[in-house]
Amino acid sequence: MEDVQVVAMLVRRCIAGDAAAWEEIVQTYNRRIYNICYRFAGSSDDAQDLTQDVFIKMYRTLPSYDHTKGAFVTWVTTITRNLLVDHFRKTKQDRMTDSIDAASSEHEDAQPLSEQIQDQSAPPDAHVRSREVGDAVHAALGRLSPELREAVILRDLQDMDYREIAVVLKVPEGTVKSRINRGRGELARLLQRTYRQVM
Amino acid sequence: MPDQTSNGMRCNEFDLLLADAIDGVLSGSELSRFQAHAGVCKACGPLLAEAEAGRGWLKGLTEVEPPANLVTAILASTTGVDTQRLRVNAHAAQPQVSWLERVQASISGYIEPVWAMVRQPRFAMSFGMAFFALSVGLTVAGVKPADLATISLRPAAIRLTYYRTQSRVVRYYENVRIVYEFESLARQVKRNVAPAEPGPATQKDHKNDTTQQPEQKQERNYSQTDNQLILAAAPVGPSVFDLSKTDPLNPDLPVVSVTTYRRFV
Repeated sequence: MEDVQVVAMLVRRCIAGDAAAWEEIVQTYNRRIYNICYRFAGSSDDAQDLTQDVFIKMYRTLPSYDHTKGAFVTWVTTITRNLLVDHFRKTKQDRMTDSIDAASSEHEDAQPLSEQIQDQSAPPDAHVRSREVGDAVHAALGRLSPELREAVILRDLQDMDYREIAVVLKVPEGTVKSRINRGRGELARLLQRTYRQVM
Repeated sequence: MPDQTSNGMRCNEFDLLLADAIDGVLSGSELSRFQAHAGVCKACGPLLAEAEAGRGWLKGLTEVEPPANLVTAILASTTGVDTQRLRVNAHAAQPQVSWLERVQASISGYIEPVWAMVRQPRFAMSFGMAFFALSVGLTVAGVKPADLATISLRPAAIRLTYYRTQSRVVRYYENVRIVYEFESLARQVKRNVAPAEPGPATQKDHKNDTTQQPEQKQERNYSQTDNQLILAAAPVGPSVFDLSKTDPLNPDLPVVSVTTYRRFV
């Protein structure tokens, strides 16, 4: 994804106060960070706030990046993951007190999975059906434990290799693989159970 | 997961190879042993199927598009710089809106939630009842909408209005039939319950009288009638101003007649 030398140069320009270099970094990585945040946090509002927080932290800690220790994208993903974990801990109490069914109406994934699937009673066209399935998968992803969720997001949605994921999550590669396997299996069971209820 | 051996592969070994197998990086004898174990083991076979299915679901997810203003917001919150290019892009991306639409959009952000709440039947009913109670209260108090135009806000006028309203309320209250019926009932009950007027003092019980005082004097006094005339007299003599010339042992004082009226009650 990145040429190490080019990114290192970009970071140096940024540290030197080059606003254009910083803008280039933001343009390059905002989509990736936003997607990780969205899939982990579950809502676009949270994802937007978290993405901003990630870039604010990046901007402050940019001088600490050492390109010899790892890829810039791994460093960025580590910052993102740490902020997501913090966010998860902060909002844990809120989630415990919230009803599963009662949530904002911004996304359909606020509904229980079975209700979402039942909504597709009318024969939809392929695009609509694909979107509904996507929403159901997104909702099921939100039901995984944070350890399994972050592992499958980084592997299956961000296409990171196991070694990079191990660096980001600070666990051995074997643990990463195990979490990915369990995460995929749990997700499949959730979705199969939902579809079996509908059928 | 039971740690059993099937075709020379343990279940924990299968678990370690599972991710690689799904990624398609297994080959040769390792792949055959893996497939043989998955076909035989009742725990690991479904695990492989579920992991493949889960991966399939996740791969079907597409990337979401970040909000259009995300980059601008990030740059504003980090460097505080809104670059010219971003401004141009943002300007091109947004359609032209009139000032009226902008005002409406900004106001609707505040009004819409309140309006949505007010439109709920329970709140509408509450507001209706509150309005009804207010209108009844104002009517009873004698407040008319037409009076509001001529209302004076001078302190003296406000004070006068206050006293007038207070007297009107008191009059209204006291003229309510049930109130004065209760008041008259209360007065009647009070009259019945209150002790009778004390009677005249009883005569002294002479049998129990141990003082042995003569009753004659008292009887004499009681025998006195009203407006009894008492005549006091003094001998006529020299002037009182010449007392030094008179003999103290044989004073020859002038006689002055004094008449007093004493009323015995």
